[in-house]
Amino acid sequence: MVVTALSDTYSIFWREMKRYSKSKSGVFIRLIQPAVWIVVIGNTFTETRPLIQAAGFDGEYIEFMAAGVIVLTAIFTSIFGGVNTLWDRRYGFMNKALASPISRSSLALGKMLAISTVSALQTSLIIGIALAIGVRFADYLMIIPMMAVVVLFSLGFSGISVTVAAIAKSQETFWGVINFMGIPLFMISPALFPLELLPGWLADLAKLNPATYTILLVREMMTGVQSGVPAEISLGILAAFVGGIVVVASWTFRRDVNRPF
Amino acid sequence: MNAIEAVSLTKTFGDVKSVDGATFQVEESEVFGFLGSNGAGKSTTMMILTTLLKPTSGRARVAGYDVVEKPSRVREKIGYVQQESAIDEYLTGRENMMLQARLSHVEKGTANRRIDELLETTGLAERQHDPTVTYSGGMKKRLDIACGLLHRPSVLFLDEPTVGLDIQTRRRIWEHVRQIHREYHMTVFVSTHYMEEADMLCDRVCIIDEGSIKVVDRPGAMKERLGREMIHMDVGEDAARLAEGITGMAGTESVETTRDGRVTARVHGGAAMIPEIFGIAAGLSVQIRSVSTTKPTMDDVFISYTGHQIRDHPGGEPRKKRRR
Repeated sequence: MVVTALSDTYSIFWREMKRYSKSKSGVFIRLIQPAVWIVVIGNTFTETRPLIQAAGFDGEYIEFMAAGVIVLTAIFTSIFGGVNTLWDRRYGFMNKALASPISRSSLALGKMLAISTVSALQTSLIIGIALAIGVRFADYLMIIPMMAVVVLFSLGFSGISVTVAAIAKSQETFWGVINFMGIPLFMISPALFPLELLPGWLADLAKLNPATYTILLVREMMTGVQSGVPAEISLGILAAFVGGIVVVASWTFRRDVNRPF
Repeated sequence: MNAIEAVSLTKTFGDVKSVDGATFQVEESEVFGFLGSNGAGKSTTMMILTTLLKPTSGRARVAGYDVVEKPSRVREKIGYVQQESAIDEYLTGRENMMLQARLSHVEKGTANRRIDELLETTGLAERQHDPTVTYSGGMKKRLDIACGLLHRPSVLFLDEPTVGLDIQTRRRIWEHVRQIHREYHMTVFVSTHYMEEADMLCDRVCIIDEGSIKVVDRPGAMKERLGREMIHMDVGEDAARLAEGITGMAGTESVETTRDGRVTARVHGGAAMIPEIFGIAAGLSVQIRSVSTTKPTMDDVFISYTGHQIRDHPGGEPRKKRRR
Protein backbone atom coordinates (compact mmCIF):
# COMPACT_ATOMS: atom_id res chain seq x y z
CA MET A 1 0.00 0.00 0.00
CA VAL A 2 2.57 2.55 1.17
CA VAL A 3 5.04 1.46 -1.51
CA THR A 4 2.38 1.83 -4.21
CA ALA A 5 1.36 5.24 -2.92
CA LEU A 6 4.98 6.38 -2.92
CA SER A 7 5.62 5.08 -6.39
CA ASP A 8 2.37 6.65 -7.64
CA THR A 9 3.39 9.97 -6.09
CA TYR A 10 6.72 9.69 -7.85
CA SER A 11 4.96 8.93 -11.17
CA ILE A 12 2.97 12.15 -10.96
CA PHE A 13 6.01 14.07 -9.75
CA TRP A 14 7.95 12.69 -12.74
CA ARG A 15 5.26 13.81 -15.15
CA GLU A 16 4.99 17.30 -13.70
CA MET A 17 8.76 17.76 -13.71
CA LYS A 18 8.94 16.57 -17.33
CA ARG A 19 6.35 19.15 -18.28
CA TYR A 20 8.17 21.81 -16.30
CA SER A 21 11.54 21.03 -17.83
CA LYS A 22 10.06 21.49 -21.30
CA SER A 23 8.74 24.97 -20.64
CA LYS A 24 11.95 26.76 -19.79
CA SER A 25 10.80 30.24 -20.71
CA GLY A 26 8.54 30.22 -17.65
CA VAL A 27 11.57 30.01 -15.36
CA PHE A 28 12.79 33.45 -16.38
CA ILE A 29 9.36 35.04 -16.57
CA ARG A 30 8.65 33.99 -13.01
CA LEU A 31 12.01 35.38 -11.96
CA ILE A 32 11.32 38.92 -13.13
CA GLN A 33 8.94 39.97 -10.38
CA PRO A 34 11.04 38.92 -7.36
CA ALA A 35 14.15 40.30 -9.08
CA VAL A 36 12.45 43.67 -9.43
CA TRP A 37 11.43 43.59 -5.76
CA ILE A 38 14.88 42.87 -4.45
CA VAL A 39 16.68 45.31 -6.76
CA VAL A 40 14.20 48.19 -6.62
CA ILE A 41 12.62 47.99 -3.16
CA GLY A 42 15.85 46.68 -1.62
CA ASN A 43 17.65 49.82 -2.75
CA THR A 44 14.77 52.29 -2.40
CA PHE A 45 14.43 51.75 1.36
CA THR A 46 18.16 51.77 2.18
CA GLU A 47 17.61 54.79 4.43
CA THR A 48 15.22 52.89 6.70
CA ARG A 49 18.21 51.12 8.24
CA PRO A 50 17.97 53.02 11.59
CA LEU A 51 14.33 51.95 11.87
CA ILE A 52 15.00 48.27 11.45
CA GLN A 53 18.06 48.59 13.69
CA ALA A 54 15.79 49.95 16.37
CA ALA A 55 13.68 46.84 15.96
CA GLY A 56 16.73 44.69 16.63
CA PHE A 57 18.11 43.95 13.16
CA ASP A 58 21.71 44.99 12.78
CA GLY A 59 22.44 45.04 9.06
CA GLU A 60 21.63 46.57 5.68
CA TYR A 61 17.98 46.93 4.67
CA ILE A 62 18.53 44.83 1.54
CA GLU A 63 19.84 41.99 3.72
CA PHE A 64 16.74 42.28 5.84
CA MET A 65 14.30 42.19 2.96
CA ALA A 66 16.12 39.50 0.92
CA ALA A 67 14.49 36.84 3.10
CA GLY A 68 11.12 38.42 2.31
CA VAL A 69 11.78 38.24 -1.43
CA ILE A 70 12.91 34.62 -1.18
CA VAL A 71 9.60 33.76 0.46
CA LEU A 72 7.76 35.96 -2.07
CA THR A 73 9.24 33.78 -4.81
CA ALA A 74 8.08 30.67 -3.00
CA ILE A 75 4.58 32.13 -2.41
CA PHE A 76 4.00 32.98 -6.04
CA THR A 77 5.56 29.87 -7.52
CA SER A 78 3.48 27.64 -5.31
CA ILE A 79 0.10 29.38 -5.39
CA PHE A 80 0.19 29.60 -9.19
CA GLY A 81 1.49 26.03 -9.45
CA GLY A 82 -2.00 24.59 -9.30
CA VAL A 83 -2.88 25.97 -12.70
CA ASN A 84 -1.67 22.71 -14.27
CA THR A 85 -4.40 20.92 -12.36
CA LEU A 86 -6.93 23.24 -13.95
CA TRP A 87 -5.65 22.31 -17.43
CA ASP A 88 -5.59 18.64 -16.45
CA ARG A 89 -9.29 18.80 -15.69
CA ARG A 90 -10.00 20.49 -18.98
CA TYR A 91 -7.70 18.52 -21.27
CA GLY A 92 -8.41 15.01 -20.11
CA PHE A 93 -5.38 14.09 -18.05
CA MET A 94 -7.44 14.10 -14.87
CA ASN A 95 -10.01 11.69 -16.30
CA LYS A 96 -7.26 9.50 -17.69
CA ALA A 97 -5.54 9.34 -14.32
CA LEU A 98 -8.79 8.78 -12.42
CA ALA A 99 -9.79 5.88 -14.68
CA SER A 100 -6.46 4.21 -13.95
CA PRO A 101 -5.53 2.39 -10.74
CA ILE A 102 -3.19 5.13 -9.49
CA SER A 103 -3.89 6.31 -5.93
CA ARG A 104 -5.95 9.49 -5.64
CA SER A 105 -3.93 11.15 -2.92
CA SER A 106 -0.75 10.55 -4.91
CA LEU A 107 -2.17 12.71 -7.62
CA ALA A 108 -2.31 15.64 -5.19
CA LEU A 109 0.96 14.85 -3.45
CA GLY A 110 2.95 14.30 -6.66
CA LYS A 111 1.80 17.65 -7.99
CA MET A 112 2.58 19.40 -4.68
CA LEU A 113 6.06 17.90 -4.54
CA ALA A 114 6.77 18.94 -8.10
CA ILE A 115 5.58 22.50 -7.49
CA SER A 116 7.70 22.68 -4.34
CA THR A 117 10.75 21.47 -6.23
CA VAL A 118 10.18 24.13 -8.85
CA SER A 119 9.73 26.64 -6.05
CA ALA A 120 13.10 25.62 -4.58
CA LEU A 121 14.73 26.01 -8.00
CA GLN A 122 13.22 29.45 -8.50
CA THR A 123 14.26 30.45 -5.01
CA SER A 124 17.83 29.35 -5.57
CA LEU A 125 17.95 31.58 -8.65
CA ILE A 126 16.76 34.50 -6.53
CA ILE A 127 19.42 33.70 -3.96
CA GLY A 128 21.90 33.86 -6.83
CA ILE A 129 20.64 37.33 -7.77
CA ALA A 130 20.77 38.43 -4.14
CA LEU A 131 24.39 37.28 -3.87
CA ALA A 132 25.22 39.02 -7.14
CA ILE A 133 23.96 42.38 -5.88
CA GLY A 134 25.94 42.12 -2.68
CA VAL A 135 23.72 40.39 -0.10
CA ARG A 136 25.90 38.30 2.21
CA PHE A 137 25.02 35.23 4.29
CA ALA A 138 26.23 34.77 7.84
CA ASP A 139 26.90 31.08 7.09
CA TYR A 140 26.60 29.71 3.57
CA LEU A 141 25.94 26.20 4.86
CA MET A 142 22.61 27.51 6.16
CA ILE A 143 21.39 27.60 2.54
CA ILE A 144 20.62 23.88 2.87
CA PRO A 145 18.18 24.03 5.81
CA MET A 146 16.83 27.26 4.31
CA MET A 147 15.89 25.43 1.13
CA ALA A 148 14.27 22.73 3.25
CA VAL A 149 12.11 25.40 4.89
CA VAL A 150 11.25 26.85 1.46
CA VAL A 151 10.20 23.40 0.20
CA LEU A 152 8.10 22.77 3.31
CA PHE A 153 6.38 26.14 2.99
CA SER A 154 5.81 25.62 -0.75
CA LEU A 155 4.21 22.24 -0.09
CA GLY A 156 1.60 24.02 1.99
CA PHE A 157 0.72 26.69 -0.54
CA SER A 158 0.95 24.41 -3.56
CA GLY A 159 -1.48 22.19 -1.65
CA ILE A 160 -3.92 25.10 -1.37
CA SER A 161 -3.42 25.86 -5.04
CA VAL A 162 -4.02 22.33 -6.37
CA THR A 163 -7.01 21.94 -4.05
CA VAL A 164 -8.58 25.16 -5.32
CA ALA A 165 -7.79 24.16 -8.91
CA ALA A 166 -9.32 20.73 -8.38
CA ILE A 167 -12.65 21.99 -7.08
CA ALA A 168 -13.01 25.44 -8.69
CA LYS A 169 -16.22 25.68 -10.69
CA SER A 170 -14.58 27.90 -13.26
CA GLN A 171 -11.19 29.22 -14.25
CA GLU A 172 -12.20 32.60 -12.91
CA THR A 173 -12.79 31.14 -9.45
CA PHE A 174 -9.27 29.79 -9.44
CA TRP A 175 -7.66 33.04 -10.57
CA GLY A 176 -9.82 35.03 -8.20
CA VAL A 177 -8.86 32.99 -5.16
CA ILE A 178 -5.19 32.85 -6.11
CA ASN A 179 -4.87 36.56 -6.80
CA PHE A 180 -6.73 37.33 -3.61
CA MET A 181 -4.18 35.30 -1.62
CA GLY A 182 -0.88 36.31 -3.21
CA ILE A 183 -0.23 39.93 -2.34
CA PRO A 184 -1.84 39.91 1.16
CA LEU A 185 0.26 36.87 2.11
CA PHE A 186 3.34 38.85 1.21
CA MET A 187 2.24 42.25 2.57
CA ILE A 188 0.78 41.11 5.87
CA SER A 189 4.07 39.66 7.03
CA PRO A 190 7.50 40.81 8.16
CA ALA A 191 8.74 40.52 4.56
CA LEU A 192 9.55 44.22 4.11
CA PHE A 193 9.54 45.55 7.67
CA PRO A 194 9.87 43.93 11.11
CA LEU A 195 6.65 43.03 12.87
CA GLU A 196 7.69 45.44 15.62
CA LEU A 197 7.27 48.34 13.19
CA LEU A 198 3.82 47.31 11.99
CA PRO A 199 0.67 48.72 13.66
CA GLY A 200 -0.56 46.37 16.37
CA TRP A 201 -3.60 45.03 14.49
CA LEU A 202 -1.53 44.38 11.38
CA ALA A 203 1.14 42.59 13.38
CA ASP A 204 -1.58 40.44 14.98
CA LEU A 205 -2.96 39.62 11.55
CA ALA A 206 0.54 38.78 10.32
CA LYS A 207 0.86 36.25 13.14
CA LEU A 208 -1.93 34.24 11.50
CA ASN A 209 0.03 34.08 8.26
CA PRO A 210 2.22 30.99 7.74
CA ALA A 211 4.45 33.09 5.50
CA THR A 212 5.39 35.17 8.57
CA TYR A 213 7.04 32.22 10.30
CA THR A 214 8.75 31.14 7.11
CA ILE A 215 10.21 34.61 6.63
CA LEU A 216 11.40 34.72 10.23
CA LEU A 217 13.06 31.32 9.84
CA VAL A 218 14.70 32.16 6.53
CA ARG A 219 15.89 35.54 7.79
CA GLU A 220 17.40 34.02 10.89
CA MET A 221 19.26 31.43 8.82
CA MET A 222 20.49 34.00 6.31
CA THR A 223 21.64 36.69 8.70
CA GLY A 224 22.26 34.82 11.93
CA VAL A 225 20.18 37.49 13.76
CA GLN A 226 17.61 36.01 16.16
CA SER A 227 14.03 36.97 15.44
CA GLY A 228 11.34 37.63 18.04
CA VAL A 229 9.91 34.10 17.68
CA PRO A 230 12.03 31.05 18.61
CA ALA A 231 12.93 28.92 15.57
CA GLU A 232 11.36 25.74 17.00
CA ILE A 233 8.02 27.50 17.38
CA SER A 234 8.12 28.92 13.85
CA LEU A 235 9.02 25.52 12.48
CA GLY A 236 6.30 23.85 14.53
CA ILE A 237 3.63 26.24 13.28
CA LEU A 238 4.79 25.84 9.69
CA ALA A 239 4.85 22.05 9.93
CA ALA A 240 1.37 21.94 11.46
CA PHE A 241 0.06 24.18 8.68
CA VAL A 242 1.62 22.02 5.96
CA GLY A 243 0.44 18.81 7.62
CA GLY A 244 -3.12 20.15 7.66
CA ILE A 245 -2.97 21.12 4.00
CA VAL A 246 -1.57 17.72 2.98
CA VAL A 247 -4.54 16.07 4.67
CA VAL A 248 -7.05 18.44 3.03
CA ALA A 249 -5.49 18.08 -0.44
CA SER A 250 -5.34 14.26 -0.30
CA TRP A 251 -8.91 14.14 0.93
CA THR A 252 -10.10 16.48 -1.84
CA PHE A 253 -8.55 14.31 -4.55
CA ARG A 254 -10.38 11.27 -3.23
CA ARG A 255 -13.61 13.00 -4.12
CA ASP A 256 -14.90 14.03 -7.56
CA VAL A 257 -12.19 16.22 -8.98
CA ASN A 258 -13.06 15.71 -12.63
CA ARG A 259 -16.02 18.04 -12.86
CA PRO A 260 -15.94 19.89 -16.13
CA PHE A 261 -15.88 23.66 -16.07
CA MET B 1 -19.43 -14.06 -17.91
CA ASN B 2 -20.37 -10.87 -19.71
CA ALA B 3 -17.70 -8.21 -20.01
CA ILE B 4 -20.19 -5.47 -19.16
CA GLU B 5 -23.56 -5.71 -17.49
CA ALA B 6 -25.62 -2.59 -17.00
CA VAL B 7 -28.94 -2.82 -15.19
CA SER B 8 -31.33 0.16 -15.14
CA LEU B 9 -28.44 2.58 -15.16
CA THR B 10 -29.68 6.12 -14.54
CA LYS B 11 -27.82 9.38 -14.17
CA THR B 12 -29.50 12.71 -13.58
CA PHE B 13 -27.89 16.13 -13.49
CA GLY B 14 -30.30 18.48 -11.79
CA ASP B 15 -33.59 17.68 -13.53
CA VAL B 16 -31.96 16.45 -16.74
CA LYS B 17 -31.96 12.69 -17.13
CA SER B 18 -28.78 12.06 -19.05
CA VAL B 19 -29.03 8.27 -18.86
CA ASP B 20 -32.45 6.80 -18.24
CA GLY B 21 -32.69 3.19 -17.12
CA ALA B 22 -30.11 1.78 -19.52
CA THR B 23 -29.93 -2.02 -19.44
CA PHE B 24 -27.57 -3.93 -21.73
CA GLN B 25 -24.93 -6.63 -21.76
CA VAL B 26 -21.67 -6.72 -23.62
CA GLU B 27 -20.26 -10.14 -24.32
CA GLU B 28 -16.67 -11.00 -23.79
CA SER B 29 -14.34 -10.29 -26.74
CA GLU B 30 -16.92 -8.55 -28.87
CA VAL B 31 -16.70 -5.11 -30.43
CA PHE B 32 -19.75 -3.37 -29.06
CA GLY B 33 -20.89 -0.11 -30.61
CA PHE B 34 -22.76 2.53 -28.66
CA LEU B 35 -24.52 4.62 -31.27
CA GLY B 36 -26.33 7.87 -30.59
CA SER B 37 -26.45 11.59 -31.29
CA ASN B 38 -24.40 14.06 -29.32
CA GLY B 39 -26.11 14.45 -25.99
CA ALA B 40 -27.81 11.04 -26.18
CA GLY B 41 -26.00 9.89 -23.03
CA LYS B 42 -23.08 7.99 -24.56
CA SER B 43 -20.27 9.77 -22.76
CA THR B 44 -22.12 9.78 -19.46
CA THR B 45 -22.71 6.03 -19.69
CA MET B 46 -19.08 5.50 -20.51
CA MET B 47 -17.98 7.66 -17.60
CA ILE B 48 -20.10 5.54 -15.27
CA LEU B 49 -18.63 2.34 -16.68
CA THR B 50 -15.10 3.68 -16.30
CA THR B 51 -15.78 4.70 -12.63
CA LEU B 52 -15.48 8.42 -13.38
CA LEU B 53 -19.09 9.13 -12.45
CA LYS B 54 -21.37 7.47 -9.96
CA PRO B 55 -24.78 6.42 -11.28
CA THR B 56 -27.81 8.05 -9.66
CA SER B 57 -29.40 4.61 -9.60
CA GLY B 58 -28.97 1.22 -11.18
CA ARG B 59 -25.95 -1.06 -11.25
CA ALA B 60 -23.12 -1.84 -13.60
CA ARG B 61 -20.47 -4.53 -13.58
CA VAL B 62 -17.38 -4.29 -15.74
CA ALA B 63 -15.00 -7.24 -16.08
CA GLY B 64 -16.84 -8.89 -13.21
CA TYR B 65 -16.64 -6.02 -10.72
CA ASP B 66 -19.27 -3.55 -9.62
CA VAL B 67 -18.26 -0.04 -10.70
CA VAL B 68 -19.48 1.57 -7.49
CA GLU B 69 -18.38 -1.05 -4.97
CA LYS B 70 -15.05 -2.09 -6.49
CA PRO B 71 -13.92 0.87 -8.61
CA SER B 72 -10.22 0.17 -8.18
CA ARG B 73 -10.66 -3.42 -9.41
CA VAL B 74 -12.50 -2.12 -12.44
CA ARG B 75 -9.73 0.41 -13.14
CA GLU B 76 -7.14 -2.35 -13.23
CA LYS B 77 -9.15 -4.15 -15.89
CA ILE B 78 -10.07 -1.35 -18.27
CA GLY B 79 -8.40 0.85 -20.83
CA TYR B 80 -10.06 4.20 -21.44
CA VAL B 81 -9.44 6.32 -24.51
CA GLN B 82 -11.23 9.63 -24.23
CA GLN B 83 -12.84 11.59 -26.97
CA GLU B 84 -10.39 14.45 -26.67
CA SER B 85 -6.78 13.48 -26.74
CA ALA B 86 -5.36 13.26 -23.22
CA ILE B 87 -1.79 13.29 -24.43
CA ASP B 88 0.80 15.53 -22.82
CA GLU B 89 1.89 17.59 -25.78
CA TYR B 90 5.25 18.55 -24.35
CA LEU B 91 6.23 14.94 -23.80
CA THR B 92 7.43 12.64 -26.56
CA GLY B 93 5.31 9.73 -27.74
CA ARG B 94 7.41 7.31 -25.75
CA GLU B 95 7.31 9.45 -22.61
CA ASN B 96 3.53 9.61 -22.87
CA MET B 97 3.37 5.84 -23.02
CA MET B 98 5.74 5.50 -20.08
CA LEU B 99 3.53 7.89 -18.11
CA GLN B 100 0.48 5.78 -18.91
CA ALA B 101 2.35 2.62 -17.90
CA ARG B 102 3.12 4.22 -14.55
CA LEU B 103 -0.52 5.29 -14.08
CA SER B 104 -1.59 1.72 -14.87
CA HIS B 105 1.00 0.14 -12.56
CA VAL B 106 2.85 -1.72 -15.30
CA GLU B 107 6.30 -2.74 -14.12
CA LYS B 108 9.10 -0.92 -15.96
CA GLY B 109 10.68 -3.83 -17.85
CA THR B 110 7.30 -5.08 -19.05
CA ALA B 111 6.32 -1.53 -19.90
CA ASN B 112 9.37 -0.99 -22.09
CA ARG B 113 8.77 -4.25 -23.94
CA ARG B 114 5.10 -3.45 -24.55
CA ILE B 115 5.86 0.13 -25.55
CA ASP B 116 8.28 -1.14 -28.22
CA GLU B 117 5.68 -3.58 -29.44
CA LEU B 118 2.81 -1.09 -29.48
CA LEU B 119 4.86 1.64 -31.13
CA GLU B 120 5.57 -0.89 -33.86
CA THR B 121 1.88 -1.87 -34.31
CA THR B 122 0.74 1.75 -34.32
CA GLY B 123 3.44 2.76 -36.79
CA LEU B 124 4.74 5.41 -34.39
CA ALA B 125 8.13 3.82 -33.71
CA GLU B 126 10.02 6.26 -35.90
CA ARG B 127 8.49 9.31 -34.29
CA GLN B 128 8.58 8.02 -30.72
CA HIS B 129 11.19 10.55 -29.57
CA ASP B 130 9.46 13.57 -31.08
CA PRO B 131 7.30 15.79 -28.87
CA THR B 132 3.68 14.87 -29.51
CA VAL B 133 2.86 18.50 -30.26
CA THR B 134 4.31 17.73 -33.72
CA TYR B 135 2.00 14.73 -34.29
CA SER B 136 -1.00 14.79 -36.63
CA GLY B 137 -4.52 14.19 -35.31
CA GLY B 138 -4.47 10.58 -36.46
CA MET B 139 -1.09 9.91 -34.87
CA LYS B 140 -2.26 11.36 -31.57
CA LYS B 141 -5.33 9.14 -31.67
CA ARG B 142 -3.22 6.05 -32.37
CA LEU B 143 -0.95 7.01 -29.49
CA ASP B 144 -3.98 7.49 -27.25
CA ILE B 145 -5.25 4.04 -28.17
CA ALA B 146 -1.81 2.48 -27.71
CA CYS B 147 -1.69 4.04 -24.22
CA GLY B 148 -5.00 2.37 -23.41
CA LEU B 149 -3.52 -1.05 -24.24
CA LEU B 150 -0.37 -0.97 -22.12
CA HIS B 151 -1.76 -2.90 -19.18
CA ARG B 152 -3.53 -5.41 -21.44
CA PRO B 153 -7.04 -4.41 -20.35
CA SER B 154 -9.81 -6.93 -20.68
CA VAL B 155 -12.23 -4.17 -21.68
CA LEU B 156 -11.14 -1.26 -23.87
CA PHE B 157 -13.38 1.82 -23.87
CA LEU B 158 -13.11 4.08 -26.91
CA ASP B 159 -15.12 7.28 -26.64
CA GLU B 160 -15.81 8.53 -30.18
CA PRO B 161 -12.35 7.51 -31.38
CA THR B 162 -12.64 9.08 -34.83
CA VAL B 163 -14.51 12.28 -34.14
CA GLY B 164 -12.93 15.21 -35.94
CA LEU B 165 -10.69 13.07 -38.15
CA ASP B 166 -10.86 12.98 -41.92
CA ILE B 167 -12.31 9.94 -43.62
CA GLN B 168 -8.98 8.31 -44.58
CA THR B 169 -7.66 8.71 -41.07
CA ARG B 170 -10.94 7.41 -39.71
CA ARG B 171 -10.60 4.25 -41.80
CA ARG B 172 -7.04 3.75 -40.63
CA ILE B 173 -8.18 4.00 -37.03
CA TRP B 174 -10.89 1.36 -37.66
CA GLU B 175 -8.32 -0.89 -39.29
CA HIS B 176 -6.09 -0.34 -36.32
CA VAL B 177 -8.85 -1.11 -33.81
CA ARG B 178 -9.70 -4.31 -35.72
CA GLN B 179 -6.09 -5.32 -35.73
CA ILE B 180 -5.60 -4.87 -32.00
CA HIS B 181 -8.87 -6.66 -31.40
CA ARG B 182 -7.63 -9.62 -33.46
CA GLU B 183 -4.34 -9.62 -31.59
CA TYR B 184 -5.47 -9.14 -28.02
CA HIS B 185 -9.08 -10.39 -28.08
CA MET B 186 -10.22 -7.88 -25.50
CA THR B 187 -13.77 -6.57 -25.36
CA VAL B 188 -14.06 -3.23 -27.14
CA PHE B 189 -16.78 -0.80 -26.15
CA VAL B 190 -16.84 2.00 -28.68
CA SER B 191 -19.18 4.97 -28.72
CA THR B 192 -19.80 6.78 -31.95
CA HIS B 193 -22.25 8.90 -33.83
CA TYR B 194 -20.97 7.73 -37.20
CA MET B 195 -23.34 5.17 -38.71
CA GLU B 196 -20.66 3.80 -40.95
CA GLU B 197 -18.37 3.24 -38.02
CA ALA B 198 -21.00 1.32 -36.09
CA ASP B 199 -21.78 -0.72 -39.19
CA MET B 200 -18.25 -1.59 -40.24
CA LEU B 201 -16.49 -1.94 -36.92
CA CYS B 202 -18.93 -3.48 -34.51
CA ASP B 203 -20.17 -7.01 -33.87
CA ARG B 204 -23.21 -5.61 -32.13
CA VAL B 205 -24.60 -2.13 -31.92
CA CYS B 206 -26.68 -0.50 -29.23
CA ILE B 207 -28.73 2.54 -30.23
CA ILE B 208 -29.20 5.04 -27.43
CA ASP B 209 -31.45 8.06 -27.74
CA GLU B 210 -32.28 10.64 -25.08
CA GLY B 211 -30.68 8.47 -22.45
CA SER B 212 -32.56 5.27 -23.13
CA ILE B 213 -31.59 2.15 -25.03
CA LYS B 214 -33.66 1.60 -28.17
CA VAL B 215 -32.23 -1.65 -29.48
CA VAL B 216 -29.19 -3.92 -29.22
CA ASP B 217 -28.39 -6.21 -32.12
CA ARG B 218 -25.99 -7.07 -34.94
CA PRO B 219 -25.96 -4.27 -37.54
CA GLY B 220 -26.82 -6.82 -40.27
CA ALA B 221 -29.83 -8.10 -38.36
CA MET B 222 -31.10 -4.59 -37.73
CA LYS B 223 -30.94 -3.79 -41.40
CA GLU B 224 -32.57 -7.08 -42.40
CA ARG B 225 -35.42 -6.38 -40.07
CA LEU B 226 -36.21 -3.26 -42.07
CA GLY B 227 -36.68 -5.43 -45.17
CA ARG B 228 -33.99 -6.38 -47.58
CA GLU B 229 -34.44 -3.57 -50.04
CA MET B 230 -36.32 -0.38 -50.53
CA ILE B 231 -37.93 0.61 -53.80
CA HIS B 232 -38.34 4.35 -54.20
CA MET B 233 -40.80 5.64 -56.78
CA ASP B 234 -41.54 9.14 -57.90
CA VAL B 235 -45.27 9.12 -58.62
CA GLY B 236 -46.80 12.53 -58.09
CA GLU B 237 -50.36 13.12 -57.00
CA ASP B 238 -51.41 9.49 -57.40
CA ALA B 239 -48.87 8.35 -54.82
CA ALA B 240 -51.49 7.40 -52.25
CA ARG B 241 -53.43 5.29 -54.74
CA LEU B 242 -50.35 3.41 -55.83
CA ALA B 243 -49.31 2.88 -52.21
CA GLU B 244 -52.71 1.41 -51.48
CA GLY B 245 -52.41 -0.80 -54.53
CA ILE B 246 -49.07 -2.34 -53.63
CA THR B 247 -49.74 -2.67 -49.91
CA GLY B 248 -50.42 -6.32 -49.27
CA MET B 249 -48.53 -7.44 -52.35
CA ALA B 250 -46.56 -10.61 -51.55
CA GLY B 251 -43.08 -9.79 -50.24
CA THR B 252 -43.93 -6.25 -49.24
CA GLU B 253 -43.19 -5.29 -45.68
CA SER B 254 -44.36 -1.71 -45.57
CA VAL B 255 -45.22 1.12 -47.90
CA GLU B 256 -44.79 4.77 -47.12
CA THR B 257 -45.71 7.88 -49.05
CA THR B 258 -44.37 11.37 -48.76
CA ARG B 259 -46.24 14.59 -49.36
CA ASP B 260 -44.22 15.37 -52.44
CA GLY B 261 -45.52 12.25 -54.16
CA ARG B 262 -42.88 9.66 -53.48
CA VAL B 263 -43.61 6.09 -52.52
CA THR B 264 -41.13 3.90 -50.67
CA ALA B 265 -41.82 0.18 -50.41
CA ARG B 266 -39.77 -2.05 -48.14
CA VAL B 267 -39.67 -5.37 -49.90
CA HIS B 268 -38.06 -8.77 -49.68
CA GLY B 269 -37.92 -9.55 -53.40
CA GLY B 270 -35.58 -6.74 -54.38
CA ALA B 271 -35.50 -5.23 -57.85
CA ALA B 272 -37.28 -8.32 -59.21
CA MET B 273 -40.48 -6.84 -57.79
CA ILE B 274 -40.35 -3.74 -59.94
CA PRO B 275 -42.16 -5.28 -62.96
CA GLU B 276 -44.96 -6.45 -60.70
CA ILE B 277 -45.30 -2.96 -59.25
CA PHE B 278 -45.45 -1.50 -62.74
CA GLY B 279 -48.19 -4.00 -63.50
CA ILE B 280 -50.22 -2.80 -60.54
CA ALA B 281 -49.55 0.82 -61.52
CA ALA B 282 -50.77 0.17 -65.05
CA GLY B 283 -53.93 -1.47 -63.66
CA LEU B 284 -54.58 1.67 -61.58
CA SER B 285 -53.51 3.84 -64.52
CA VAL B 286 -50.93 5.51 -62.29
CA GLN B 287 -47.80 6.72 -63.95
CA ILE B 288 -44.44 6.06 -62.27
CA ARG B 289 -41.93 8.72 -63.32
CA SER B 290 -38.79 7.12 -61.96
CA VAL B 291 -37.77 4.22 -59.81
CA SER B 292 -34.68 3.29 -57.79
CA THR B 293 -33.76 0.69 -55.22
CA THR B 294 -31.57 0.98 -52.15
CA LYS B 295 -30.52 -1.39 -49.43
CA PRO B 296 -31.33 -0.25 -45.91
CA THR B 297 -28.41 1.49 -44.24
CA MET B 298 -27.65 2.10 -40.61
CA ASP B 299 -29.16 5.54 -41.17
CA ASP B 300 -32.50 3.90 -41.95
CA VAL B 301 -32.10 1.67 -38.92
CA PHE B 302 -31.34 4.65 -36.73
CA ILE B 303 -34.32 6.63 -38.02
CA SER B 304 -36.64 3.70 -37.57
CA TYR B 305 -35.68 3.31 -33.90
CA THR B 306 -35.35 6.94 -32.87
CA GLY B 307 -37.75 8.69 -35.22
CA HIS B 308 -35.09 11.18 -36.29
CA GLN B 309 -31.80 11.38 -38.11
CA ILE B 310 -28.60 11.44 -36.18
CA ARG B 311 -27.97 15.04 -35.28
CA ASP B 312 -26.77 17.29 -32.58
CA HIS B 313 -29.07 17.07 -29.64
CA PRO B 314 -30.72 20.41 -28.89
CA GLY B 315 -29.61 20.10 -25.28
CA GLY B 316 -25.96 19.93 -26.35
CA GLU B 317 -23.29 17.70 -24.91
CA PRO B 318 -24.07 16.04 -21.61
CA ARG B 319 -20.82 17.48 -20.28
CA LYS B 320 -22.24 20.94 -20.69
CA LYS B 321 -25.46 19.97 -19.01
CA ARG B 322 -23.48 19.03 -15.95
CA ARG B 323 -22.60 22.63 -15.33
CA ARG B 324 -26.02 23.29 -13.81
